Amino acid sequence: MAVSNTQVIFDNLYGIFTDLAIVVGVIVFALMAYLIIRYRSKKSSSDPEDTPRLGRIPTARGHGRNVLITVTLSTFLLAVLIITSFAAVDTLFPNTPPNATWCYGIAAYNQTQATGQSCPRLDVTGHQFYWVFRYPNNHTYTNFFRVPVDTTVVLDVTSADVFHDFGIIQFKIKTDAIHGRTNTIWFIPYTPGNYTIQCFELCGTGHVGMIATLAVMNVTAFQNWYGSAK
Amino acid sequence: MSQDIFPPRVRRWLFTTNHKEVGILYLVTALFFFVAAGLLAVTMRTQLSVPDNHVLTETLYNQFVTVHGLLMIFWVLSPFAFGFANYIIPLQIGARDLAFPRLNAMSYWFYLFSGVAIIMSFIFGAPDLGWTLYSPQTAFQFAPSIGLNVGAAALILITVSITMSSVNFLVTMFKMRAPGMKLRNMPVFPWAILVTIFMMLYAFPSFLAAVLLLYVDRAFGTFYFSSLQGGALLWDNVFWFFGHPEVYIVLFPAIGLIADVIPTFSRRPLYGSKYVIGSMIAAAVISFIVWGHHMFVTGIGLTSTKLYTVTTIAVSLPFDVMVIAMIETLTKARVKLKAAALFALGAIALFVIGGITGVYLASVALDHALRGTYFVVAHFHYIMVGGSIMGLIAGLYYWFPKFTGRMYNETVAKIHFIVSFIGFNILYFPMFLLLDMPRRIQTYAPDTGWGSLNSLATFGGFIFGGAQVLLFVNIFLSQRRGPPSGPNPWDGWTLEWSLPSPPPAHDFDKIPSIAEDGTYHFGTSAGLPHGAGYPNGSKIGDGYPHSHFEGLSPWPIVVAFAAFIFFLGLTIGQPSSPTTPVTFQPFWPLILDGAILGVIVLYGYSREKFSVHEESHVESWPFREVPNVKLGIWTFLGAEVIFFGVLIGAYFFVRTNSPIWPEVGSLFDIRNGFAMTLVLLTSSLTAIMALVSARVGSRNGLIVSLIATFGLGISFLYIKATEWVYLGSHGVFSVAYGLPATSYFITTGTHGVHVFAGMLMTLYLLVNTLKGRYLKGDHQAIEHFGLYWHFVDIVWVFLFPLFYLI
Repeated sequence: MAVSNTQVIFDNLYGIFTDLAIVVGVIVFALMAYLIIRYRSKKSSSDPEDTPRLGRIPTARGHGRNVLITVTLSTFLLAVLIITSFAAVDTLFPNTPPNATWCYGIAAYNQTQATGQSCPRLDVTGHQFYWVFRYPNNHTYTNFFRVPVDTTVVLDVTSADVFHDFGIIQFKIKTDAIHGRTNTIWFIPYTPGNYTIQCFELCGTGHVGMIATLAVMNVTAFQNWYGSAK
Repeated sequence: MSQDIFPPRVRRWLFTTNHKEVGILYLVTALFFFVAAGLLAVTMRTQLSVPDNHVLTETLYNQFVTVHGLLMIFWVLSPFAFGFANYIIPLQIGARDLAFPRLNAMSYWFYLFSGVAIIMSFIFGAPDLGWTLYSPQTAFQFAPSIGLNVGAAALILITVSITMSSVNFLVTMFKMRAPGMKLRNMPVFPWAILVTIFMMLYAFPSFLAAVLLLYVDRAFGTFYFSSLQGGALLWDNVFWFFGHPEVYIVLFPAIGLIADVIPTFSRRPLYGSKYVIGSMIAAAVISFIVWGHHMFVTGIGLTSTKLYTVTTIAVSLPFDVMVIAMIETLTKARVKLKAAALFALGAIALFVIGGITGVYLASVALDHALRGTYFVVAHFHYIMVGGSIMGLIAGLYYWFPKFTGRMYNETVAKIHFIVSFIGFNILYFPMFLLLDMPRRIQTYAPDTGWGSLNSLATFGGFIFGGAQVLLFVNIFLSQRRGPPSGPNPWDGWTLEWSLPSPPPAHDFDKIPSIAEDGTYHFGTSAGLPHGAGYPNGSKIGDGYPHSHFEGLSPWPIVVAFAAFIFFLGLTIGQPSSPTTPVTFQPFWPLILDGAILGVIVLYGYSREKFSVHEESHVESWPFREVPNVKLGIWTFLGAEVIFFGVLIGAYFFVRTNSPIWPEVGSLFDIRNGFAMTLVLLTSSLTAIMALVSARVGSRNGLIVSLIATFGLGISFLYIKATEWVYLGSHGVFSVAYGLPATSYFITTGTHGVHVFAGMLMTLYLLVNTLKGRYLKGDHQAIEHFGLYWHFVDIVWVFLFPLFYLI
């Protein structure tokens, strides 16, 4: 089930990598197993002709041609992986940094676009050992935040103390939270529900409990909550 | 120092300088740390086996995570490999020992004491922030534990150890190969070590500089790494510039070893060996431009991340060549599946899985999800345990008969492989599937659904750990009771198999030579290339002077101990204020003890009559004309370049990231800088005059030049001291003044220490000159000092404009 655009991007790309990995892995292991079984030492077999002997430098063996073929094939495979990765990261990291205008521009949800009230762009700050979320209306919440479904959500992540890493587990998206720097990530949630945020960089005793919740809500429910909050 | 207070057997192991005994010491110690770090891992796996488990507290778990990582990377993988390198490489290249046997023993003792230090850190509260030591968590306010200081001392000591042994091996392999043994004729294992050494030489100084700056931050309250001006990213850059090559540093020896084991047991030459060696060099070079993939989500920018994605994916190509070459070696072969071969082939298979999953992590897009998860843990354990440890175990079985003269039990060894291989995959493969679970967490909630895979991994962990008992029982019993192996049980063809098992202390009765047609000659000079014979009249064939092989030296262990005490004193101590600790006070008595002992033993070390028999071999391209010591100094200076490069780079980094910086001339007086530059450049001239005087045999000229050099050094330090005092009395020497002052004091201070060391050398040279040395063509020491002194001057030529003019 698709829970966010970032998760879809990840799953597609991970699928491509895994398909190729399985193909390459199967070929390599099959070749290895075949050669070991085919040429394993038997009582009847004797050493090949070019077995090196003590007292001589071993004779050179192997063709540059084969090496070249291997490298060329691999380069093609890797090029596929690089190109697909670049396509994915261009979406994850648009060339123009997300701002309010941009955020409305690609949002599937556009009801508030006309009024321009609540493009959800939040400041996220990591502390030892909790997360603080600040909405544009300056309301802050600790260890939980809410966003409307099908809307572009932009997060500006930083840290108040040590090196943390902000990751929304099910959305397959994360960024480092570093004191003195702001890193921006964005996503479009597809399915209402609760999702888990966890710190992914060991940040001290208490790191294990640095967990927050993201609630993805229906648009009207979100607007009611946001409008009436505090 | 009297050596006779110890019984002979103890004395032999404490004072040995023989490369084979040092190699055994390395192996035994590395295996000890392997068990220690492995037990930490088993405890952690137990803690993680079920959700909401509390076998370990979180603090203890974090300490275990950190120390397990540090131990395995620094105290197990490399020393394990260098145990083999110590023992085997001189045999394989036809040398009688390493170039500097006492330095080699010293490397070992630094390694041992550094390991003692890291274990000791548990007493003070071991480091608990992961082996990557990310800042600003390392700042004293976040980590007010002395244990982290002791960890830093351990890291400094092991870096010193590694630098010494890199220089040693480099000189040995370039200078001491047997006549006719061309570089390209070396087996792959020495090649892998050679490439590893080059990576060490360029990677570790960066790490040393980073740890020193970290220490300064903690001891003096400076904030290189804790500043808002990008301190965290500075550490990331400097650490990973070292950290990625380090991955290949711990991997390559195993790859090289496997590339020698597989051909031996498949009875055919390695497929495309020159391509394998070329690939190693390529991968080593590329390893220095991929470090950004550890920083994909730190916000270094889209373009940088794409570049690092390309370089990182590209580095898989040379590994591709290596793996394919090993597999193609098996074609039309006669594969004998002995334990060593099984471990070598198994290591390749696991390495393939680790390599393929590494490509996932090279993709910046996937890394947004996979960073900091168990997928990463699975990946690098497939490389480091699957590739390195399994490969090194192959080496243990392969060379066990050579080390002991006895055979191990083949059946037990095969069972050891099968159980290890299965246990390994049950242990680590589930972690690939745990790609949502953060690494380095002490426990997790039941509703995460991570429980069953973790239980499986823990189950595998016990199998894998338990299997290693078979290894230890097997080698322990077999080295006492195993049947005799004979000199060449595997029918191998590298030179070590031409010697008895175990080889005699002096290795070769007669140094072999290799003729142009590739055949070895054991002990006759017939067929030598260039018809050169044995130069320098070394007594080949008529009784080799074995003296130094029985000669023991007590100094290496004592020098290492002095350094250990010194650094321990620097790092253990009291926080400066009990309530809000920002810095700590070093423990001065221990520092003084260490320093005094250090001076005494260095004096003893230099006075000891310990002649290394330097055989000048015919084939020593590309350094044919360069004596060992000089080559050693060149390599050392190469490492120093990186060290100062990082200090200067750190200065650049903080400066470009700082919004404000003092105007030129407002902080430091340009005239002072100019005067110091003039003084130091003049002293370079006097150093040259010293060498010229020594060459022409002018005693007075030499004395005057050395005194002038010393005097100019004093003037330099005097101007510097007045500047420091001036700045200090005007309040600049305070933490509050920030990075402009900090970077100045640290960078020029480090340079000043180098100047001071150079002046001590001039004093030493002066004393010896007065005794009448250096004038009869024995002026090498003057030349070596000159190299060092010019280097120190050149560094200043960079520092002067950076701090005073721009």
